[in-house]
Amino acid sequence: MDFEIPQELKMVQSLVRDFVNDQLKPLERDIMGRATDLSDAKMSLPPETEEKLVKMANDIGLWGVNIPEELGGAGLGTLCSCLVEEELAQTVIPFNFGDVTPILFHCNVEQKKSYFLPVLNRQRYAYLALMEPGKGANISSLGTRAEREQDHYILNGKKLSFSKAGRDYFAVVFAATAQGGTKDGVTCLLVDKDTPGFSVTGGEEKTGWRAQEEEPMLLSFDNCRVPAENILGKEGKAFHLGKKWLPSSRVIRGARCVGVAQRLLEEAVTQAQSFQSFGQLISKRTSIEAALADIAVEAHAGRLMVYEAAGKADNGEPIRHEAAMVKLFTAKMLGSVADRVAYIFNGPPCIAGLPMERLCRNALVTSTIELTLELQRSIIAKDILKGLKV
Amino acid sequence: MPLRTQIEVKEIEGVLNTVLNTKSPPVGRCRLLSSGFNPAHALNISENISGHKECLACGNCIDICPFLSREPSRREKTEQRTSMALESIVGEDCDLCDACILVCPQVDTTIKNYVINHRMVEVMSRLEQRIGDEDELDLDLFLEEALS
Repeated sequence: MDFEIPQELKMVQSLVRDFVNDQLKPLERDIMGRATDLSDAKMSLPPETEEKLVKMANDIGLWGVNIPEELGGAGLGTLCSCLVEEELAQTVIPFNFGDVTPILFHCNVEQKKSYFLPVLNRQRYAYLALMEPGKGANISSLGTRAEREQDHYILNGKKLSFSKAGRDYFAVVFAATAQGGTKDGVTCLLVDKDTPGFSVTGGEEKTGWRAQEEEPMLLSFDNCRVPAENILGKEGKAFHLGKKWLPSSRVIRGARCVGVAQRLLEEAVTQAQSFQSFGQLISKRTSIEAALADIAVEAHAGRLMVYEAAGKADNGEPIRHEAAMVKLFTAKMLGSVADRVAYIFNGPPCIAGLPMERLCRNALVTSTIELTLELQRSIIAKDILKGLKV
Repeated sequence: MPLRTQIEVKEIEGVLNTVLNTKSPPVGRCRLLSSGFNPAHALNISENISGHKECLACGNCIDICPFLSREPSRREKTEQRTSMALESIVGEDCDLCDACILVCPQVDTTIKNYVINHRMVEVMSRLEQRIGDEDELDLDLFLEEALS
């Protein structure tokens, strides 16, 4: 058994760590606002700052680290993506190295030129149009329909998209095709911005989880004529897209939890070594020591689970239950770490102005935005009942 | 921040299950079934607020609600961040995930323990339809991708 991270991945990790420490963390004060006063907090990075960071990431070869090589990225695999995500999660600055949804990895040669590469190069933005208003998490039967008419599809319906807004965009629409309304009759279509009948409303940045969440865009399709060549993948096979990559994304998000936990630990250590009560640094108190030790142990356990699942994914092994275990453990771990850090800071984590407030809020969001952990329990339990040995 | 001696769930199990089975955010009613405010957490004021069961308006339930995460425009309907606001803006669209109960500082730990130990199975059974067959992706992966 080899727990050693390969040397080349260590180098990438170190590069990203330097980038986060030198370029992103100094910007945190602008995003979070002054302590105890959030009036000057910003929702997102100013465009010129973002441009500068993207250029810098491009120059040092970090742009597109998790994009497959055949699509123009570095193709460094799941473990590398986890190491990168772990470092990026240690700051509240909303920045990534060119994340493109794995669903778009299925673009054919023509679609790659018109859709995938412009997204990777930030010339176009893709709205992932899967969820529908009022439908909740029930995506197996969609209300948006695409009817085939010769060499076109006629698209009708409404979608919610949480993707970032941009000037030039297209939508990646999951629609029920004429063959059926269940998950086997769902087709993925690429719909250009200028398609008649396609309109986008909403999308303003709102309060709440600042710099983390935006108002969803409402995408409306009213008798949109979409050329048949704009099908992504095969007709009726939308839920087969991303098969090779999507399970890894659960592990990569687990790495994000580990990164946040690591940063929370660092914040907690700083607080414990600088705050005094009753004439003594609180780091001398056994209860604080216990809390710090528990945080460190949980973060370490989460990290090992992430690395093990990522290693398996890179070896081409199925990681269905490992990914579920990673998500379940890391999300719970982060909640528990946030609780302990709040204890060390002597206040509930929701008080704006405390240094760890944003991180704790993000920690809370991780388990809600990314849907329910009970589903992960179901996946693990089903595999155990089928004879999985753990 | 409930009292030290909290509600015995066996005494309210019938009512509690009715509340948890109703398609509406259950946190407000669970708060009323709880023991109320612990004076140890109160500021030094003359009024005795021990056992009071009012919502503190901390907004935890609004923040944790997965339905509002998916449709945050509903939050625009009110500035309030109370459990009453949650009930009025989510209503029957509630996912019945019980997350709001678990984050409410005014709900007794005994009730929270009951929810975790006895109700999560119900939540899990509702979720099973989102897991795909062995050879296909579970639909949650697509939802996560759309939301992240």
